[in-house]
Amino acid sequence: MSVLGLDTITFRYPSASADALAGVTLDVEAGETCWLYGAPGAGASTLLMVAAGLAPRFTGGSLSGQVRILGVDPVEESTRHDLRGQVAWIGTASDIQFSQVAETVREEIAFGPANLGQPMSRIDAAVGEALERLGIGHLAHRSPAALSGGEQQRVVMASMLAMSPALWLLDEPDAALDSAGKEIMARVLREEAGRGSAVVIATGDADAMLGRAGRIVLLDRGTIAFDGPPRQLLADELAWSRGPGGTSVAELARAAARLNPDPRLMAPYPLDFDEAMARWKP
Amino acid sequence: MTLHPFTPFVLVGGVAALAFLLPPPVGPVALYGGVLIAALAAGMGGAAVAAGLVLLPLWGFLLLLHGILPGGDGYPAAVAQGARLGAVATASIMLLRGFKPSRFLDAASSRGWSLSAAYLIVSTLQAAPRLRARAASILEAQRARGLRAGGSPWARVRALVPLSLPLVLATLTEVDDRAMALEIRGFRSPGVTRTPLDPPPTTGRDRSLRWGTLILVLAASVWRFG
Repeated sequence: MSVLGLDTITFRYPSASADALAGVTLDVEAGETCWLYGAPGAGASTLLMVAAGLAPRFTGGSLSGQVRILGVDPVEESTRHDLRGQVAWIGTASDIQFSQVAETVREEIAFGPANLGQPMSRIDAAVGEALERLGIGHLAHRSPAALSGGEQQRVVMASMLAMSPALWLLDEPDAALDSAGKEIMARVLREEAGRGSAVVIATGDADAMLGRAGRIVLLDRGTIAFDGPPRQLLADELAWSRGPGGTSVAELARAAARLNPDPRLMAPYPLDFDEAMARWKP
Repeated sequence: MTLHPFTPFVLVGGVAALAFLLPPPVGPVALYGGVLIAALAAGMGGAAVAAGLVLLPLWGFLLLLHGILPGGDGYPAAVAQGARLGAVATASIMLLRGFKPSRFLDAASSRGWSLSAAYLIVSTLQAAPRLRARAASILEAQRARGLRAGGSPWARVRALVPLSLPLVLATLTEVDDRAMALEIRGFRSPGVTRTPLDPPPTTGRDRSLRWGTLILVLAASVWRFG
């Protein structure tokens, strides 16, 4: 079942001279994890905002094409309220996503479900579960404003989790997290995809994402340059010619190939340590 | 015991009305005295000090205008005006310092208020501390880039643009970002009543204070204009 459907989406910001997205068509199924990859300015953040129904409503600009979430148009005034609580969108700045009314982390996480008018028993259960799954139970009574960047990022994630969304749209969700936080976030998103949510993650961190997504979509100047398995793209020269590059190991192999044109160093590049060892072992 | 979030608004409104209804100079001075005692009793002496520091130049100006310079209304008028300002400013700062956004939102939700209207009040009351925090972070960032924000008056004036411009731009950007974040979290959900997480009770003390304030304002109006 398609959770997110974008059909020939073209979007341009106000006063911009070029389209931020040009004819993008993308379907993300329930249970799928889709990784948006691209150089800065390629259009990944814009695509997430358009998919969430936030652009052009909050950003201004012009949009053509059709967006569908669970078959509903999130842009159309008469239908978008049917999607409340169904879409989790996490932008790059976590502190901006706080409600600014909560005095504790528990209240912050409960803000969304309360706005949806859910009964208190359900809110309590959802908040408790979100705190536990994100490993932030010990922060429940702390002020959200007093947390570190990584802790804030986990609270934002928990706030979305408490609404049980069907679609996750995440823009650089790992940016402020340490390795433990990254692992927790990856696990939670895997579980969410497992229970039938669709997950779309925009990030340039190829090392962290390798193995976390079944599909990669390479964006280049607002168009889709590749849509397929991550390993296929990241081992190919296309990741450099139209994208931000590959994994650290692939980067190393590519640099080595420039110095020594050994066929074992050429594309397709090894993506991780194990692959490199298997390929380069004498 | 904490007051219901609406009660301080009634009290501040009452203080503002009484400050101009009570006969000067005794009325405003007595009112200011009462507000100061209430501040001390509530453990918010800091609010009275903060209001005094803000008003200090204004009090000096009032004394100069009404008392020292020829053609003024005399010292009693200066004292009355100063006391009025002192009472209203102290009560307002007490309101701001004791304001709990989540309790206010819960109180508004349980009364069936529009969530947007309640949030607007909360945002307005929180704007000053948020701006101060943002200004502090911009100041630190600009200092790290070599900006000299201290020293001579001319240096301070020159530092204003690199400090104020990012503040204004960041504030404008933040409005859009925050609106998007609130939208995603079901903030504007037509036909849905927000669930109050912990609706604050209206106690007998709240009722007494609200009715007492109203009666005092009405009595002062009758006394003044009746």
